[in-house]
Amino acid sequence: MAEPDRYDRQVLHWGAKRQQIIQKSSLLIAGVGGLGATVSQLLVRSGIGRLYLVDDGRLDWPDLNRQTLYGEKDVGRPKLPLAKERLNQINASTEIIELHGRIDDAFEVPVDVAGVADCLDNYQSRFALYRAVPKGTYFVHGGLSGDHGQVLTLKAGESQPFDEVFAGAVQPQDNIPVTPDNVVIIAGLMVNELFRILWKTPKLLDRCLVVDLDDFNMAFLDI
Amino acid sequence: MLQIQFFSLIRMLLKRDAIDIPWADGDTVQSVLEKTQQQIATPFLHKLLDEQGAPHAGTIILVNRKNILHLQGLQTPVADGDVLAFFPPGAGG
Repeated sequence: MAEPDRYDRQVLHWGAKRQQIIQKSSLLIAGVGGLGATVSQLLVRSGIGRLYLVDDGRLDWPDLNRQTLYGEKDVGRPKLPLAKERLNQINASTEIIELHGRIDDAFEVPVDVAGVADCLDNYQSRFALYRAVPKGTYFVHGGLSGDHGQVLTLKAGESQPFDEVFAGAVQPQDNIPVTPDNVVIIAGLMVNELFRILWKTPKLLDRCLVVDLDDFNMAFLDI
Repeated sequence: MLQIQFFSLIRMLLKRDAIDIPWADGDTVQSVLEKTQQQIATPFLHKLLDEQGAPHAGTIILVNRKNILHLQGLQTPVADGDVLAFFPPGAGG
């Protein structure tokens, strides 16, 4: 099958117009760990035009259970160039731009992004990331612990600020349990919502989807 | 009437996703919590509050979509028809 057929199966589902929007769009993926490795991979497979990636971590053995872009030989290497390399191998037509440095109050979100995917693993960085999101830009948050996770979309400048909604959500001292199946499910839901924000039809704007995988329950929490 | 919504681990613990509690003049988040525990007959306040009775870090309590930490905490007054939500979000990724 030739390159022009690459997106045939998804265009059958969402149509050529929506595919064109994806291919012309830019997103920022904050964190290319458990959530971010799968979120960025699915977006690249879909043909997203440009992805900005930010992550200052190095791959460690406990990452390998769920961080789907990496393998054993990558342990010890910085994740950001690895992610770029692997994503380029999947789809060379997506422009991958590495943003070096930490996500803190000095961090700046590129102005051309339609949305920011919060694939981070701690609230301090999440709060700093949200403060950097330009007004009018969508922010798609994902998080999980064990069998429980959530996805929420906010629009900077219009929604309640993320750090106000999640005030009091302090980072646990111990390692957080994260399994390969559950992190991929939350990442998949995030990508589904990221497509929708590109098409201007978000489903989770000011509405947190709370996912409990131990009894396959999903519920909405209005924010 | 007040609607009390439970999410994630709190929902699993209480084996229900919501409960209606009669409203009374002077009710606060604190008094509603105590009435909720009484009506459900399942101890759960220890999951939400520490030994001093302050909210545990980790569970978000919303009154009509607003986090009580930006209102008056557990002393936030509630009005008839209000919706209270208890949600311990997942922090990992």
